[in-house]
Amino acid sequence: MLQYTIRRISILPLLLLVITFSTFYLTRWGPGDPISVIAGQVRDPEVLAQIREAEGLNDPIYVQYVRWLGDASRGDFGESYIRRGFTTWEVISPRLWVTGQLGIAALLVIFPIGIFAGGLGARFRGSWLDPTITLSLLFAAALPGILVVAVLQWLFAVQLSLLPVGGWGGWIEIYWIAGIVAVPILDPHIYIPLTAYTLGGFVGVARLVRATVLEVNRTDYVRTARAKGLSEGTVQRRHVLRNSLLPLVTVVAFSLAGIIEGSIIAETLLGIPGIGSFLFQAIGSRDYNAIQALTVIYSATFIIMNLVADLAYSLVDPRIQVGETS
Amino acid sequence: MSSRQLSGILLGVVGLLVLAIGGLSAILLLQGNEQETTTTAVDQSVSSTDKVDLSGRELRLPGGEPVTLDPHLTTDAVSGAYIVEIYSGLVTMNAELEIVPDLAESIEISSDGLVYVFSLREDAKFHDGRAVTAEDVVWSIHRAASPELRSTVTLEYLKDIVGVREYYYGLKPELAGVVALDDRTIQITIDSPKPYFLAKLTYPSAFVVDRSQIESNRNWVRSPNATGPYKLAEWNLGESIVLEASEHHYLGLPSVHRAIYTLAGGSALTRFENDELDVAYISINDIDRARDPSSSLYKYYQATASMSVSYIAFNVTQAPFDDVHVRRAMAMAIDRKTIAEITFNGMTMPATGILPPGVFGYTESDKTLPYDPEAARAEFSKSKYNSSNMPPIVYTETGGGASAGLDTQAFIEQWRQVLGLEIEVRQADWASFLDLIDSNSAQMWGIGWSMDYPDPENILDIKLHGESRENNTLFSSPEINALLEKARTNFSVSERIAQYQEAELLLIEAAPWIPLWFGSNHVVVSEDIEHWFEPPMTLPRLQHIKLRD
Repeated sequence: MLQYTIRRISILPLLLLVITFSTFYLTRWGPGDPISVIAGQVRDPEVLAQIREAEGLNDPIYVQYVRWLGDASRGDFGESYIRRGFTTWEVISPRLWVTGQLGIAALLVIFPIGIFAGGLGARFRGSWLDPTITLSLLFAAALPGILVVAVLQWLFAVQLSLLPVGGWGGWIEIYWIAGIVAVPILDPHIYIPLTAYTLGGFVGVARLVRATVLEVNRTDYVRTARAKGLSEGTVQRRHVLRNSLLPLVTVVAFSLAGIIEGSIIAETLLGIPGIGSFLFQAIGSRDYNAIQALTVIYSATFIIMNLVADLAYSLVDPRIQVGETS
Repeated sequence: MSSRQLSGILLGVVGLLVLAIGGLSAILLLQGNEQETTTTAVDQSVSSTDKVDLSGRELRLPGGEPVTLDPHLTTDAVSGAYIVEIYSGLVTMNAELEIVPDLAESIEISSDGLVYVFSLREDAKFHDGRAVTAEDVVWSIHRAASPELRSTVTLEYLKDIVGVREYYYGLKPELAGVVALDDRTIQITIDSPKPYFLAKLTYPSAFVVDRSQIESNRNWVRSPNATGPYKLAEWNLGESIVLEASEHHYLGLPSVHRAIYTLAGGSALTRFENDELDVAYISINDIDRARDPSSSLYKYYQATASMSVSYIAFNVTQAPFDDVHVRRAMAMAIDRKTIAEITFNGMTMPATGILPPGVFGYTESDKTLPYDPEAARAEFSKSKYNSSNMPPIVYTETGGGASAGLDTQAFIEQWRQVLGLEIEVRQADWASFLDLIDSNSAQMWGIGWSMDYPDPENILDIKLHGESRENNTLFSSPEINALLEKARTNFSVSERIAQYQEAELLLIEAAPWIPLWFGSNHVVVSEDIEHWFEPPMTLPRLQHIKLRD
């Protein structure tokens, strides 16, 4: 197990190397470059050529990549071209926290609701309720995020004026009653992105819970518990549910990775100052340095989440022995 | 596995995830805080002499995130709006767009128009109270033009100064054209007499920065010690920018003591209605509401012109736009007045020429080729192209690949109806679009120009002189070139205006561009503001705004 973990972690730099090089190559191969974008409307081609040369953008791509790699390995991701005067990390870090907040909030919504729906489905297996739950959650997951965001904006912000169209105000807003009692409420900016992020997540959790609940119900120890004369409620609570929740550990990692991936479109549409909307801007402006730094963050998150999921499998189910050849 | 172990594992994994995300952010935030602490320290040293109470008298504005607050690097209007408040130079432009001395108190120009001698005001001071010296000005211009800084704009604005080009390209170690004659006198020599030279000096490329701060603090731009009427009090990335009146500025304290720009947070109009902002700009979606006399917004609404023009440009070396008749016919086939009223809700102003209002030489009369389907067809029939030999035409515009711009759709339809032309619209993201234009591979495209100073030279010479490297139409007419060159060095204001107006008319007739719209700003302004100033171009504005007492 330890050996396996070490081996998986030691592969991480190699994977990152492949990913960052591909991104590096693709961004430079496509049309446009950061110098052209920052020049704005005054664009003397001779001046721009001179600056490209000075910035090393005319060097062969592998030379530029090795230079980037050298700097990056020392933690230097350069200066963002569209936020000059700040290092790329300084621009990204507050945004990373915004995206992280939304991601964690989404998990906190997905899991309780998903577990409840899955449990309900298992409990009423064979009745109309079970397929209705699965179908409606599947339908919710099939809705493209881009559509969900647009419809919610139109309905709740434009038509009903209940929620802000976009922007970000943090997790929680303190609501003062008579200036004395502080009541923390969810910040109104969070509802639309949270809905968009969570709609796709319920079905995975619910189906897994439903399947495991049914499976656990058929196990010997549950039969034993019933045979002991325990009430059905106690059996479900103490023996079934508890053992059914365990596999969910593996879904947490994947859900979070999915949410962070979806953040690019949702944050851009909603004007949320997270890393997703910044990546969108960075690509639009050919901000090479920011694109590279964000690629490292995104891919490292994915790789680590994958590892966590794999490790969680083997912890949860001793039958899965990761890394051991049989 | 006992339940305790299980919940332990569960907790552990969730904890790990939270740590992975939160921890990384926390570390980064901590690093950010360290930097902030240093910034605050600088701030305190700057404002240690601060005795004036600057609380209250606040103005809450919507703002964009600046690309940079370094005056020598800036190229965009968003950054420029902050920079002109924080920094200043020898000359500036007042609310009437007249060029007036700023840090300088007097300017002497030699009889041959080549040598400018500026005397600094005695009360020209940095935010920290230090007096501005001639050496500060000389060093700042050297910095702006230095090859190490790699500014994309310096050359355009300062190239008239003797030696700037050589210094910028690293060919000469000295910049001969800018010297300090004594502590308070600066002499600038230019390469030929140019009536618009002082106008170019109002651009941030010539703004003064503090050498000792720049050389000692890598992050100086986050709390610059400069000479403008406002100092940068706070810059919270992605959140807000706070400007605070400099108590050392020679103008004294302005009406607006603090200007708080909110950079995020959704619709500015909604926040204006919630009294979170004193000012909001209005988009086409809300214009009906603001213009409806029964609406609550109506009494706050103002519309002003901005000094910019949008246009369609043709690459005149590519078929079929190598034929002037095709270009002219296309200009005559589009009905901009109707499109402005119907499609744009009257929010845009059809261009009456190339020069937008506010520029010297602008006249109200419509000089553009008039909308006339009959004349357009007649013009088209004179061209060497007809339906049998017409090459495919692609119109390039910026966009995300969704539907074409509202005006583009209308134009395409009119070109089809009037001239029978089938034109394909290609959308490119901004960076790819620039690439297509710069490489002269686009046939025709839509873009705009915002004036950097109100002189016709800033648009006609840069964009349409046949020898300008920034003329992407590749159009060149010896007659127009000669006129523009004459106007460049003509010190007779009336003659010069006449030359530019003639050039403008000839350019409209030859139609390398179809001027489309002049820019305008639509804004709602709170009742707490007694006098609002909406500048037609980037210039210091906060000092002109009056808050109600």
